[in-house]
Amino acid sequence: MTTAKPKTDLSGILSRIDKHRIYIIFVVIFVFMALFAPKFFNPFNLTTITKTMAMTACVGIGFTIVMICGQLDLSIGTVITLAGIIGLGLKQYVGYELSVPLAIVAGSFIGLINGLLVTKAKINSFIVTLGTMTVLQGLIYFVTGGNSIALSTPDAFAVSDFLSWKMMPMITPRVLITLVLVIIAQTVLARTRFGRNFYMVGGNKSTAWLAGINTDRTIILAFVLSGTTAAIGGVLFAMESSAATLNLGTNSLMYVISATIIGGTAMSGGKGGVIQTFVAIMALEILYDGVILFGLGNEVKIFLAGLILALVVLYEAFAIYKHEKTVGQRPELLKELQR
Amino acid sequence: MEQSRVLRFGAFASFINVFGVYLIALFFLLLGVVLQSLGVIQNFISWSNFLNIIDNVSLLGIVAVGMAFVTYSGNYADLSVPTTMALTGIVAVEMLKYGFLPAILAATAVGLLIGLINAIVVGKLKANPIIWTLAVNYVTLGVIRLVWANKQIYPETITDNKEAIALFDGIFRHELASNLFGNELLDIRLPTILMLVLMVLGQFILTKTSFGAQLKMTGSAKKAARFSGINVEYVVGMAFVLAAVTAIIGGLTITSLSRVGAYYNGTGYDFRAVTAIVIGGMTLAGGRGSMIGVLGGVLIIGFINNIMTLLGVPTLSQDMIRGLIFIIVVGISAKSLRSLGRDDS
Repeated sequence: MTTAKPKTDLSGILSRIDKHRIYIIFVVIFVFMALFAPKFFNPFNLTTITKTMAMTACVGIGFTIVMICGQLDLSIGTVITLAGIIGLGLKQYVGYELSVPLAIVAGSFIGLINGLLVTKAKINSFIVTLGTMTVLQGLIYFVTGGNSIALSTPDAFAVSDFLSWKMMPMITPRVLITLVLVIIAQTVLARTRFGRNFYMVGGNKSTAWLAGINTDRTIILAFVLSGTTAAIGGVLFAMESSAATLNLGTNSLMYVISATIIGGTAMSGGKGGVIQTFVAIMALEILYDGVILFGLGNEVKIFLAGLILALVVLYEAFAIYKHEKTVGQRPELLKELQR
Repeated sequence: MEQSRVLRFGAFASFINVFGVYLIALFFLLLGVVLQSLGVIQNFISWSNFLNIIDNVSLLGIVAVGMAFVTYSGNYADLSVPTTMALTGIVAVEMLKYGFLPAILAATAVGLLIGLINAIVVGKLKANPIIWTLAVNYVTLGVIRLVWANKQIYPETITDNKEAIALFDGIFRHELASNLFGNELLDIRLPTILMLVLMVLGQFILTKTSFGAQLKMTGSAKKAARFSGINVEYVVGMAFVLAAVTAIIGGLTITSLSRVGAYYNGTGYDFRAVTAIVIGGMTLAGGRGSMIGVLGGVLIIGFINNIMTLLGVPTLSQDMIRGLIFIIVVGISAKSLRSLGRDDS
């Protein structure tokens, strides 16, 4: 009895560490870079980091919600690009005041279509979003004719300057918008019934339905949010750089998936949180920044990103594997018998 | 009487299940014929164009055969296929200096290693297949770019061994049928034959071997399969190894086609193969579909590509139409499965 108690305490601590592992990963990476990476700890570099992560952090919000619902959204990469192209391409006709909302609404609309196809047509979300991704890719090339859009008018530059204005240390308006969105999303997810519905649906769809949750509407909403935040991230980034290239969001998909998984959101759904994804994106961004500061190339960055994702997936799979092996067994009793 | 009607309906349904995809293929064939008779496109109906269509999708077909085993086993897809293709190609080119056969053997070994890792982690440890193979894809990409430092390597600069280079070039270009039979009509390249052989082999494994039956059971109901004594870990793992095998063949072929080993060889073949497989009637839930269907799916993609190219649709915009058709076909098949009471989403 006396020997069993500290043991459960230890496993309790371990499971708590596991739950918050992303914060530990973040601190470890941050401290390592701060100590060893040359020129890491200066305001200019730190601002670069926050500015670089702003887009993916914004996209990560909606993607995490979709993952919490147990679904997958592969279309975010192309939604980012499309939003940038709509926002900048229509500016010369209607101005930013209309083109930016249009870009965001387009993102929401794509999310709505994804959600409807997943819930009403009952097609697997992997397939649906693979389809919309392909359609959007073609649409982007069809609309632009394969050319990037770059704005060089004074008012476009004024907006660009405003978005990259250093209002506070490490904080530009674009970073601030992202932060506010992350905080709102996290609060709603964790503190309101509306937010917890996403966890319910992801954890067990039939139970959620029996509990009176409109599961279809919740999933549709998750996809709409995913499309919306992807569009916001994309259009803000395009506005800040005054340019929308056709591969704006190409790398974001893998990046956001990795960050979400590393952050602890399970692909089976019902687990995770926006803030964890946000911290994971920061950790990855710091790591990448450090890799570049050490004078290592892009290829090391790609390799490390894959390795971290692989290790996290492997660790999780192994934990479940071990759990399943011992499930139903009572090691304390076995030990007593052996004694 | 009642029973026979049910039986007949069942036979009809299973016929549609297997060959329904060919009705869609027929639709696109007719579309091409109509468009040609209207004078919108030229040269659609000709033997050489038909061979051309098959030639163009043969690479996709080869990769899809292996990937289909993964889908059939209920594990969605193997997203590590693109860099497996790239890595095997690069290794083959690098090893050409030791001759043709060592190059092929080294490439095969490297590809099989990736397949085995996938097999162990997804089969034994039951990691999420999509996420895991995505991570493997990334790691392999990183390895390629670390070791070969973003360089593309050409067989000509690696070795002076003309014979080995010629053999390697021949993987894609060898015109086996016309060489064997001396017949101009069979002017098809080796990959097409490889694709057809692999399709037949795949269909044989799926329907005539005990492994195929075990795979079907595992894909349809994993728990039931385990309780009936099937080694589920081995079966799932084997599916990933088979996916790696066809990825190796695909990687060697695409590298032979482009005559350059580079990290981007194979990009997009993961999703394209999934598209072909799913259009071909294999559901992501697993345990349903056939290799005949996958061949149909590959053919449909070939027809669509060909018609759009003849219509003059820019290559990159073709994605739009392909994606739309993909969603529509999958939507219809999901709906028809539901009306047959075989919904499993």
